[in-house]
Amino acid sequence: MKSFRTNFLAVVFIVTILKVVSCTPESCLEETVAEMKIPFYLSSTQKNIAPDSLTIYGIHNESNKLYNSTKNANRADLPLNPSAESCSFVIRINGVSDTILLTYDSYAHFISKECGYTYYHTIDSLAFTKNMIDTIIIKNRFVTTVNEENFRILY
Amino acid sequence: MLLSAGSFIVRAQTEPPDTVEIPLKIRIGAEVTGPVIYLTDNNNLNAEGFISADLNERWGVFLGAGYSDFRYSQYNYEYLSKGLFLKAGVDINFLRPEKAMGKYWAGIGLRYGLSSFTYEVPVFEFENYWGTITSSIPSSDYLGHYLEASPGFKAEMFRNFSMGWSVNIRRLIYTGAGKDLRPIYFPGYGSGGETISYGISYYLMWNIPYKKINVLVKKEEPEETEETGESEIR
Repeated sequence: MKSFRTNFLAVVFIVTILKVVSCTPESCLEETVAEMKIPFYLSSTQKNIAPDSLTIYGIHNESNKLYNSTKNANRADLPLNPSAESCSFVIRINGVSDTILLTYDSYAHFISKECGYTYYHTIDSLAFTKNMIDTIIIKNRFVTTVNEENFRILY
Repeated sequence: MLLSAGSFIVRAQTEPPDTVEIPLKIRIGAEVTGPVIYLTDNNNLNAEGFISADLNERWGVFLGAGYSDFRYSQYNYEYLSKGLFLKAGVDINFLRPEKAMGKYWAGIGLRYGLSSFTYEVPVFEFENYWGTITSSIPSSDYLGHYLEASPGFKAEMFRNFSMGWSVNIRRLIYTGAGKDLRPIYFPGYGSGGETISYGISYYLMWNIPYKKINVLVKKEEPEETEETGESEIR
């Protein structure tokens, strides 16, 4: 009887400690922003080759450049605007500018208790100018935090 | 004749009986760790009770129900969920009848759980290249399913009053909310972000004996010893 009472108090104590520990916020170590993963391919050789210079920024957000004369970037990661249904980017490859326009749907996605919520997107359409870009191949319309290729830019 | 009668009396007094009388019981119990935790953290309330009935000395049926109210917040979101859950299944007692005697139970409970709950995210904040967005996910109803295995112990402390504890291992079947909006917590199961969840329960129980059965006791076979020629000589 006595041992059972001791047992009872011990279990309640352990459970309380476990509960308090489990409620202590932990760090968010996961990727929290879904971005389009766009590798660059040279159309003549079909090889994944970085442009000599790459500049990318969003239209209406010109002052904040995602890539600014960056060298050795054989892939661009571009975030979409969840509060809009479309957005455009200027992509300047080796000094020649193109514009791409994307329309998409955005939806909330739960990452984890530590990280909270993010937005995922489904691409509806893509349009682009062809000054330096030769073509864009759509590989995967679903833009998530998973490291998967979405488009392939051939220049 | 007297000698043989005497030996019969001695045998009857020393040998264990072939059967034991086991009282079958209906148990009505309440889980106590939920309310105890609520005293230290009033963001989370979990109240749970059950009724179970012995079918025989080994098997019993179990029906449990509970209510949960869970709140969580951190720097970039708030989360609220509340709802009811039901659990149904069987209890299996691994103790031998002559040890258990209807008072002690050491075994495992196997259950199916159904949780009907609502959850909402009143506010969450998202930040990327395009700026910071503050948004919310409105309250919706969901129906989650899970399986539970609960090994544990119970002991009758006073006449018709028992205490017991169990470790609960739960396997998620479906949260009811799809893969994008999995609930952080859903009643009865726990963390909806995990496919396996764990918990500990401590129960206080009231027992109502409703029937007595006689159960055959399996006698232990005496250990066989090899007798050697040497020992026979001695």
